[in-house]
Amino acid sequence: MQEATFLILTALAGGSLHGYGIIAQVGEISGGRVRLRAGTLYTALDRLRADKLIGVDYEEIVDGRLRRYYRLTPAGRRLLAAEAARLHAHATAALTRLSLAGGVA
Amino acid sequence: MTESQPMERGYRRILACYPRAFRRESEEEILAVLMATARPGQRRVALAEFADLIRGALRMHRGPRLPRALLIPVRLAYVGAAAELSVLIALLVTLAGLTSAAIRSYPDFNVAQWRAVLLLAHLPAAQAGAPILLALWVWLACANARGNRAGRLAFWAVWGIIKAGIAAEAIAVIAVYGIGGALALAVLILVQFGAMGLIFYPSKDPLPYRPHRQLDPAQR
Repeated sequence: MQEATFLILTALAGGSLHGYGIIAQVGEISGGRVRLRAGTLYTALDRLRADKLIGVDYEEIVDGRLRRYYRLTPAGRRLLAAEAARLHAHATAALTRLSLAGGVA
Repeated sequence: MTESQPMERGYRRILACYPRAFRRESEEEILAVLMATARPGQRRVALAEFADLIRGALRMHRGPRLPRALLIPVRLAYVGAAAELSVLIALLVTLAGLTSAAIRSYPDFNVAQWRAVLLLAHLPAAQAGAPILLALWVWLACANARGNRAGRLAFWAVWGIIKAGIAAEAIAVIAVYGIGGALALAVLILVQFGAMGLIFYPSKDPLPYRPHRQLDPAQR
């Protein structure tokens, strides 16, 4: 899974968000390192919706503009959990080996 | 709001490059995000947004919108159908040579009889109908993606009948083409079984995803 997909799913794990909310959350989660752009975000959302990993929660009109809120589906939740566990295991292994080798104290 | 109108028009012009279905569904929504993420006082389309939107449009126009888990089996299905087509061509090309070789071995049979035997026995519907099989495969992948059980069962039935026919032909093919024919047939059947297996039991691998290269590295 690419980092952006992981971050989008992570942002939605906290509750449903609209497009701008996802961009803001992804920025926050990544410590400002990843800045999603609209074209990329909506290509990803389209793909995630096609794969039934996310769904539309509800829509509202704010200042004459459409806001569509997305949420994780159970399949999306499972995928994110599996990916997070995988990354966690890899990171733990890396840190363990580094400390064994005396590289990090 | 009036100050941002040239920018909005600019973004709408770029969004016109997206597929119609996507625009109908999401144009207003993506436009709202573009306006919300614009810098204060920004009046024109930002170059980085422009490049990102064009890249998104190209991506959306590329390929069918099948679930990712089904892309590999569908490609495999194309390979299977291409292999069937090449078998058909090989049979047609070697028909004359085979017929004369067969006549030498079995003098009781004449040319016309052998040709009839080869055509009837070794060009089964599965090979002549490779394009139909291919279409069926792609249709199955789509039906499966939508969870259409009846479509899947119908396809299994058609596929089973065709493969039973091929298995029956295998003995004749081996007799005529020898071990090479047997190997080619085995590979063909394995590829097709692989495709069918993956279509019916798509990967449960939690990492079927490789969508957006652009976002992978740190991006500022």
